[in-house]
Amino acid sequence: MAEPKKYDTPLLDELEKGAFPSFVTEIKRMAARKPMAADLLGQLEKSYRDKIGYWKHGGLVGVMGYGGGVIGRYSAKADEFPEVSHFHTIRVNQPSGWFYNTEKLRLLCDIWDNHGSGLTNMHGSTGDIVFLGTRTEELEPIFSELTQGGWDLGGSGSCMRTPSCCVGPGRCEWALYDTLAVTYQLTMDFQDEMHRPPFPYKFKFKMAGCPNDCVASIARADMSIIGTWRDAIQVDAAALKSEYIDKGTDIQSDVVEMCPTRCMKFDGETLDIDNANCTKCMHCINVLHHALAPGKDRGACILVGSKAPIVEGALLSSVIVPFVKLDTPKEGEDPYPELMELIEKMWDFWGENGKNRERIGEMIQRIGLGNFLEEIEVDPIPEMIVHPRTNPYIFFEEYFEDDDEAETE
Amino acid sequence: MPVFEFDGHQIDVDEDGFIQNPDVWNDDVAAALAKTEGVDDLTEDHWKLVRYLRDYYLQFGIAPMIRKLCKATGFSLKTVYELFPSGPAKGACKVAGLPKPTGCV
Amino acid sequence: MADEPAKKITDIGPPHYSEFLPPVVKENLGKWKDHEILTPGIMYHVAESGAKLHTVRVASPRILSVDRIRDICDLADKHCEGYLRFTSRNNVEFLVSDESKLQPLVDDLNKDPFFVIGGMGNGISNIVHTQGWVHCHSSATDASGIVKCVMDEVHEYFSETRLPGKIRIALACCLNMCGAVHCSDIAILGVHRRPPRIDDNLNKICEIPTTVSSCPTGAIRPATVDGKETVEVDEDACMSCANCYTVCPSMPLNDPLNDGISIWVGGKVSNARTEPKFSKLAIPFIPNNPPRWPEVTDAVKNIIKVYIDNAKKYERMGEMIERIGWPKFFDLTGIEFTKYHIDDFKHAGTTYKTSTHLRY
Repeated sequence: MAEPKKYDTPLLDELEKGAFPSFVTEIKRMAARKPMAADLLGQLEKSYRDKIGYWKHGGLVGVMGYGGGVIGRYSAKADEFPEVSHFHTIRVNQPSGWFYNTEKLRLLCDIWDNHGSGLTNMHGSTGDIVFLGTRTEELEPIFSELTQGGWDLGGSGSCMRTPSCCVGPGRCEWALYDTLAVTYQLTMDFQDEMHRPPFPYKFKFKMAGCPNDCVASIARADMSIIGTWRDAIQVDAAALKSEYIDKGTDIQSDVVEMCPTRCMKFDGETLDIDNANCTKCMHCINVLHHALAPGKDRGACILVGSKAPIVEGALLSSVIVPFVKLDTPKEGEDPYPELMELIEKMWDFWGENGKNRERIGEMIQRIGLGNFLEEIEVDPIPEMIVHPRTNPYIFFEEYFEDDDEAETE
Repeated sequence: MPVFEFDGHQIDVDEDGFIQNPDVWNDDVAAALAKTEGVDDLTEDHWKLVRYLRDYYLQFGIAPMIRKLCKATGFSLKTVYELFPSGPAKGACKVAGLPKPTGCV
Repeated sequence: MADEPAKKITDIGPPHYSEFLPPVVKENLGKWKDHEILTPGIMYHVAESGAKLHTVRVASPRILSVDRIRDICDLADKHCEGYLRFTSRNNVEFLVSDESKLQPLVDDLNKDPFFVIGGMGNGISNIVHTQGWVHCHSSATDASGIVKCVMDEVHEYFSETRLPGKIRIALACCLNMCGAVHCSDIAILGVHRRPPRIDDNLNKICEIPTTVSSCPTGAIRPATVDGKETVEVDEDACMSCANCYTVCPSMPLNDPLNDGISIWVGGKVSNARTEPKFSKLAIPFIPNNPPRWPEVTDAVKNIIKVYIDNAKKYERMGEMIERIGWPKFFDLTGIEFTKYHIDDFKHAGTTYKTSTHLRY
């Protein structure tokens, strides 16, 4: 192997100053022993000088049997920086909740150290582990070692992208369904849809344990599964007194007056919650977490359609199912039947009717939510909208034609 | 520009092996490209897929969406991957001489 | 006889997470009762059973060398029985089951300036960001560089000083927004300003119908130039989003003079108190000024200062602005309001002020 080239990087060196950990330090660390990382440093310095990136558009590489999981990348300055002439990235499906043990994490490090630049993203925006920078001839060996070690690739292209979730029942008292398990279930049930892209465009699942939505599911997933409850908030009156009232917490200003539906009253001693008017926003629970907890009748709200601006504008996911139970399946039971049925119906319809590169949210905007609901056999309910239409352009579907018999008067 | 050599011919390809000049495509080119995608011999089923792709592209200027491809040829997606292990985009589209499908976003 | 080659293993999915859960988590899965944030980077969770798990959160530049991951593993082996995780904002979390190991872990972390403990509660956690010049072909700016510069300026809110509410900062190096920055308290977005340049290989490289339909404003039309099929761009209708470049390599937009950064404010994804909302434009354009982007960091610090001085307890940036009004926000920050701040895409009219509710 060639010796890594040493580049002068006065601009990048500036980014090693300062308190926050530096990505330049990381690249330099690998550049000391890996020619690929060294040339990356050189090319990046050039980008900083010229204020432009030097990567060619795309690249189509992969492993046999899969239609995604690897992002091809070639340097546009391969003559100057030959070691990054190929610089593909591999998406490795992360474990639910990004939990690791050192043994398996070290295995990943060894595989990557032996076959690539040694640089990673922990993690990519969708959630995958990203192996940043390798050559085409290394892809199959890396894939082979990954799968032998119990790892697999994530999704790329017009597929189900790698599902991801919050820490959920792994640590959080507000996990209102098992985000880790649902994420794993979706990942395993839909391996085919992940590795062999069958859809008009990408489809992302993100599982958040509660309406705080620590994985930004409502903004970043085609299907957002956000934990919620439907019965009364649990109030521990003794803890309310000892942890908050006695310690001088201003429950009136900090909690009661910030409730979006003003469903709470506090008389100095008792917190009275009109649960029928509570919209489960989590604020009071966030603030008074030693004394308040979500209700016991737990499940999830399913919202659909969020995406970034390209093409038709950014969207947040909107309510399709206000409440569904997602209890841990018992032995022999089919897991999450209502959720799976909904997914199949949506994918069927969107797969058939979505245009090329049309996200499901854009298709819904194009054909109308009402029509979409009809096709996936879900009844329209007011929970799905902020308010009914204000414009009167109603596409009536039933009307009498001239030769229809009139109803008897 | 990288060059793909076979049977004494030389064709311009990009670094992923997609031909750069659609006019040079013919059955021999297809067969040679197929070898680079793990397909040593093109069977009738392979040709059905390749011809569908090429005809669709010449008619509409775009590659067909995957669902349409499966419906029109009668092949399940699983079969498509059996025919072209590197997939419809990297494998079949390359063999059919279509432009390279675009990447990561 | 030669051995059969081992059948290729595929479609096995990730390892099941249960093998990565510390025993205290496995035993108390889904049975957590409460938590306490002790310092901006250290918290514990307590289960219904009384069992406790401490977490120490540490910043990461997201780009990590395998050697650094190995260092992190060494610490996890020493203090956490080998258990750790990463957060949705790219921080590292050491999972400490044995409370007696908490201080030794913190001591070890404090010995290495790379490890900055923090990121919890009402402060600034890590900046979610994209690949930038490190890897992306369509980036208008670098991502990791700006993230480093901004975090260097505001790291006190990561590791010490508390804020009225969380400030979540995200950065996308172009409008594709590969980390969905569209709902952040402060969003930093790379932008292009010039229409694409069309090269004459387009008909061989690109699908013309796909290119035409990729344009959000319909600015691209099929055309014939020198007898070759290609496309043309109505430059007045082009707002340089670069989606055409995403589907057609023959229409690049990257341009060192005209690429730069925009700043957006007021988004949130959580449902707490108020509903999730999109970020809104604060500053339309700042030129790229690597390596430290001082104009960007100054702008971000300024906005943060206005937030600290004016937000009520628990209020997020967008909630504060809604309460005081956008005119006041521009007044307090000194940011110039221009015609670029007014929407002109679909449904733009719904963002115009259609009442007399004005402060004087």
